[in-house]
Amino acid sequence: MSKIKGFCCNYTMSVDVDALKEGGLVPEGLEIDRLACTGRLEVPEILDAFTNGADAVFVVGCQMDKCHNLSGSYRASKRVRYAKKILKELDMDPELLEMFFADRGHSEPIVEAARLMASKTQGNSQDRDQ
Amino acid sequence: MVKGARKILVLGCRGCVAVCSAGGDKEVKILSAALKLGVKRSGGEIEIDEDTLVRQCDPEYIEPLNERAKDYDLVMSMACGVGVNFVADRCPDVNVVPALNTTFYGANLSSGEWKELCAGCGACVLHLTGGLCPVARCAKSLSNGPCGGSQGGRCEINPDVPCIWQLIYDRLSKQDRKEELKNIMPIRDWTTAGHGGPRRRVREDLLP
Amino acid sequence: MIAGSNLENILSSGTFAVTGELGPPKNGDMEVVRKKARILKGHVDAVNITDCQTAIVRMSSLTAGLIALSEGVEPVMQMTCRDRNRIGMQADILGAAALGIKNLLCLTGDHQKFGNHPQAKGVFDMDSIQLLQMVKGMRDEKRFQCGEEIKKAEPRLFLGCAANPFADPFEFRPVRLAKKVEAGANFCQTQIIYNVEKFQRFMEMARDLGIHERCYILAGVTPPKSLGMARYMKRFVPGLDVTDEVIQRLQDAKDQREEGIDICVDIIKQVQEIPGVAGVHIMAIEWEEAVPEIVKRAGLSDRPEPKGVEPVLISNQAITEAVERAREEAQLELKGELDKVKAEAQASRELVVKEKEKAASEISSLKKEIEAAKEMVSRKEAEVEKLTKELKQAKEALEKAKSEGPKEVVMTKEVKEVQGQTSLTAREQQVLQSLNMGLKALKDVLGLNDVQFEALRRFLEAEFMLQFGTSVSPEVLPSEAKKEIQPAAIEATKEEVVVEEVVKEEIAAEEEKPSERAKEVVNLVAKGNVALHNKDYVAAIEAFKKALEIDPDDEKAKEGLEKARELQVEQMQAEAKMAEIEGLPPCPEEISEEEWKEKWVIRFTARGNVALMKGNYDEAIKEFKKALEINPDYEKAKDGLKRAENREDIYIPSVEAKAEEVKVEEKPVKEEEKPEVEVKAEPEEKEEKKEEVEAKEEKEAPKVEEKPRPKVELKAPEGEGVTELEVAPLSKDEPPLSERAEGIPEDVYKEVCSGVIQSVTIGEGDKAIVVGGETTLPFHTFEGDMPNPPRIAYEVLDSPPEEWPDALLKYYSDVINDSAAWARKCVNEFGAKAICLSLASTDPNGANVSSQDAAKVAQKVIEAVDVPIILWGCGNAEKDTETLREITSLIGDKKVCLGPLTDANYKTLGATAMAFQYPVVASTPIDVNLAKQLNILLENLGVGLDHILMDPSIGAVGYGLEYTYSVMERIRLAALTQQDDKLSPPIICNLGREVWKAKETKLPTDAELGDQERRGVLIEGITASTLLLAGGELMIMRHPKAVNLTEALIEGLI
Repeated sequence: MSKIKGFCCNYTMSVDVDALKEGGLVPEGLEIDRLACTGRLEVPEILDAFTNGADAVFVVGCQMDKCHNLSGSYRASKRVRYAKKILKELDMDPELLEMFFADRGHSEPIVEAARLMASKTQGNSQDRDQ
Repeated sequence: MVKGARKILVLGCRGCVAVCSAGGDKEVKILSAALKLGVKRSGGEIEIDEDTLVRQCDPEYIEPLNERAKDYDLVMSMACGVGVNFVADRCPDVNVVPALNTTFYGANLSSGEWKELCAGCGACVLHLTGGLCPVARCAKSLSNGPCGGSQGGRCEINPDVPCIWQLIYDRLSKQDRKEELKNIMPIRDWTTAGHGGPRRRVREDLLP
Repeated sequence: MIAGSNLENILSSGTFAVTGELGPPKNGDMEVVRKKARILKGHVDAVNITDCQTAIVRMSSLTAGLIALSEGVEPVMQMTCRDRNRIGMQADILGAAALGIKNLLCLTGDHQKFGNHPQAKGVFDMDSIQLLQMVKGMRDEKRFQCGEEIKKAEPRLFLGCAANPFADPFEFRPVRLAKKVEAGANFCQTQIIYNVEKFQRFMEMARDLGIHERCYILAGVTPPKSLGMARYMKRFVPGLDVTDEVIQRLQDAKDQREEGIDICVDIIKQVQEIPGVAGVHIMAIEWEEAVPEIVKRAGLSDRPEPKGVEPVLISNQAITEAVERAREEAQLELKGELDKVKAEAQASRELVVKEKEKAASEISSLKKEIEAAKEMVSRKEAEVEKLTKELKQAKEALEKAKSEGPKEVVMTKEVKEVQGQTSLTAREQQVLQSLNMGLKALKDVLGLNDVQFEALRRFLEAEFMLQFGTSVSPEVLPSEAKKEIQPAAIEATKEEVVVEEVVKEEIAAEEEKPSERAKEVVNLVAKGNVALHNKDYVAAIEAFKKALEIDPDDEKAKEGLEKARELQVEQMQAEAKMAEIEGLPPCPEEISEEEWKEKWVIRFTARGNVALMKGNYDEAIKEFKKALEINPDYEKAKDGLKRAENREDIYIPSVEAKAEEVKVEEKPVKEEEKPEVEVKAEPEEKEEKKEEVEAKEEKEAPKVEEKPRPKVELKAPEGEGVTELEVAPLSKDEPPLSERAEGIPEDVYKEVCSGVIQSVTIGEGDKAIVVGGETTLPFHTFEGDMPNPPRIAYEVLDSPPEEWPDALLKYYSDVINDSAAWARKCVNEFGAKAICLSLASTDPNGANVSSQDAAKVAQKVIEAVDVPIILWGCGNAEKDTETLREITSLIGDKKVCLGPLTDANYKTLGATAMAFQYPVVASTPIDVNLAKQLNILLENLGVGLDHILMDPSIGAVGYGLEYTYSVMERIRLAALTQQDDKLSPPIICNLGREVWKAKETKLPTDAELGDQERRGVLIEGITASTLLLAGGELMIMRHPKAVNLTEALIEGLI
């Protein structure tokens, strides 16, 4: 079972993860950190998530033009890009980290993101097996 | 650099590199996180401590390292090359490596963008060139005006680079100092630019 | 002729020159160069050999040039600054000249980025203009770039440069070419021209600068080989202007190559018409075959026969020939040498004969001279007789004198004179010696015997004596000769001579002693005079005295002594005077002597004013005079002097009168307030809360911090605002820390600091306060000493305050129009220990009250109270300098504290403060390093660290207090734990103005924010207590209640 780590902001995350898991909507190994704003997410936190065992990491922020804190999700997206560069340098697949944007209070994008990332890890673990 | 080390100290500097977002607290954190991830992925184990000194170019901040760094296999200095050298000079027992590739003296054009503006050549001509440096900012460090490659205010080596001599010409023209460009600047003395050996400055009035 | 190259010959003859270009191969095959050279030979006057063009590695320009030369083609060696430094370039230039290269084209060179080694380090030790200068210097001044002389065979090179009329800025291009010509370019080849019209404009500007008269300009042309090439050049070659017309012509052409050649020919024909164009430079890149055709079609194929195009390095056979030729030349030369030597020998033989003749004639003339000498001898004989007689008389006189008394007495002036004359000067002795030697020589020449010689010598001696009025002392002439005198020869004179000898010896013996003494006297007098001249009167007096000891009658010595004494007294008087004026301490380096003096003028004037005010007129007159002695034109001192002399005083009466008035006004206020204070004192609630706190503190006993909670006391009366000013003291009856921390090892909670904070005294007399001096962090009395409690100064404004909330204003409403009364109220009623006079009204951006008016107000305040006073300017560096100086000139030595000094005015105000020994406030914008720097600057100026109070800039609570706190904390830690003594002065916190500026202190009382006054007091109190804990030593505050609270806190914590 692959471990997926998600970072969401206060506004994009309004559903109970456990309920989603029970409903089989998201992978079992999903863990979500709810931040006040994704703009507070720093590069080391993303990297640490991988270090602490995550196979893939994703960030869900507000729509770029509708961020509660105006530019929070924009900043987050830039940091994700920077973290991707580091992953590449470390010979890791930068696609194991993605940024998503969601409207307020909609859980679908999170479910989708979690699933997409989970599918990537599967592909990846296959690669590893080979 | 990190290979074989089990315990590392990532050492930032709160001086200029922190201002330039190259080696301050934040960058120390990012580097440590990346190192941890990298080592873990290659199946190794590593213990990384982080610290940021006020400056790595003053002895009082550096010297305590001698004692402190005994426990570490490696100290990665995120200061500019000065810091790495200074640690190496002052702390004989510390195994220090650079964690920052020092590039140039520049200004911060906007958040995240820096540009070289001074070569630290030790023979300043800025008073003759309207405050714009042909040594640092001309691809050929010309002293007597633009070469034939100046076209439309751009340097021939890269259209993103402005021809500094065009800028100097424009600036001096505006200041009504165009005549000064007729003077031939004599051949330069490069000894002060590091070609005379490592440089040193002493201000006697400040010596202890 | 500069280098005598073919190109130079052609150009100087006025023929339209044609040059070509030859790109060396990217390999080591010499044949490639030869082939290209052969194609060009006869069609061009010289060929440029490129130097790794576009930064691509090729056979070197020098080598390829030599190969071309061996083919009979004159090379123009190109040299760029990209690949060699001045050492390599000069070496190659010498080599090129040695091997017969006569033209050098100096270029900066294409950037390495464009070549096949873009990672290379571009040297660019110099640019093309400097290269021209360097080569010109080597050629014309025979000097290497470093200035060293080229001793032999300087490189004779015809120098060229490039010019690009199509690069930017266009107007600067001709100027740049002029610079190149100035630097040494003899000819110039331009960038490829397609846009003839633009080139025409370029030439017009060049002609305006007169360039075409100092430099041959060759227009650069290139036949476009194909449409593709033309397009490529248009798009990608920087500084190349390919016109659309050219592109169109190629597009329409059937044979693009033919058309290319035609285009080139057309351009040549057009540029030929442009005045000032001396030739063309045809660059047929990798298409050398086109050149002959182009030249032909352009009608230029009739090239003059090249001259001087000869290789230096040649084949073996040529070498043999050369050797043969050299041998012949050598033989010829040898023969020439031989003839020359022969001729010389003949000449010298002739010379010998001539010399012989000359010698003979000289000998005969010598003989004649001897005859004349003999004649003179006989004449002298008669004179000797006369002399002998005189001598006899002298002897008699001497004997007579001897018998008449002791030697000293006998030494009359006459005798002295004789003595003076008899002791020969060095010069006379020399003359005599030469005479002696001359005589001896004469003796040899004439073959005289000893007797004859002796006689002759005597005669001459006598002559000498007569002439100089002196006798010859025995030492001068060899005594041997004297003894050998033979009576036979000149018997008559013998006796007399002997007598003369005796007499002379006697005189000499007698005169020896006195003569020495007299000599000494003379020496001493001379020495005295010299010392006198040098103004060393002590030495002069000493010398004259000594002289008089030996000879008490020596007039000169007496006279000298008198004069020396007189002058000495004069000098001492002058020095005393000078000392009085210039009793200035040495001028600090930072300021000029002039400025320093000016400060002292102000200081003396100030002292005078003070004395004037005290009614001490004599003292005042003295001080004003001192000031006027340094600067006689100083109006204020003149004015003061006049006043002092007239015994008038404008200051005291007015001040005192006003003070009286104020006092009367004040009284009722006092009475009103007092009862209230008493009534409301000490509600019980307070006590309870305090106990709670104490209990809490006991629980936390092992913790080091004794942090008080000022809030506790403030909670007292609900809802009614702050009407009473007194504050209950903090309870001190808690067990000491050592007790509370019983059982815990001391070193766990104790951290002893090694630094010391400076003690600074403000004010003078028994009201002076001392701040600083601690050896520990604030209130950590268990770790070190805190000898002086922090102090609070009341802020007084120099003009009625604007925008003060009622809560604050009500305490001062009766005095806001009179700063002196205000200050007095603070001291008498609120018990202020110090006053800070804020000169806010002087701000040029505000009321802009003049410095003079502000100074008068300040003076009144200073007169009104006896507590220490801090003068705080408006913050405008220039105005503050002016105002504070003005004040110091009025108050003189009265000790006040000046502030704020910033990096903009620390020099002037620092120097003023130094002159009066005032403490100063060094103000910096919340930054440890800036604070330290200003302290260092002040210290360098001469202001001691114990005269500095640091103002780190304050933020009130809610307005950046935490920032201030952190900076102060760092300053204090650096001073105490890192012994950074440059940060050791105490800290002054001007917080009142920050607090009462805050919006929160001005909002009216309402349910949410509570009572306005209590709010303000709390903000000020909390700001102050926080700053105290951060290390502040001197608080400047406004609200009396807040002051009392803070004082209670200090009292409780100490």
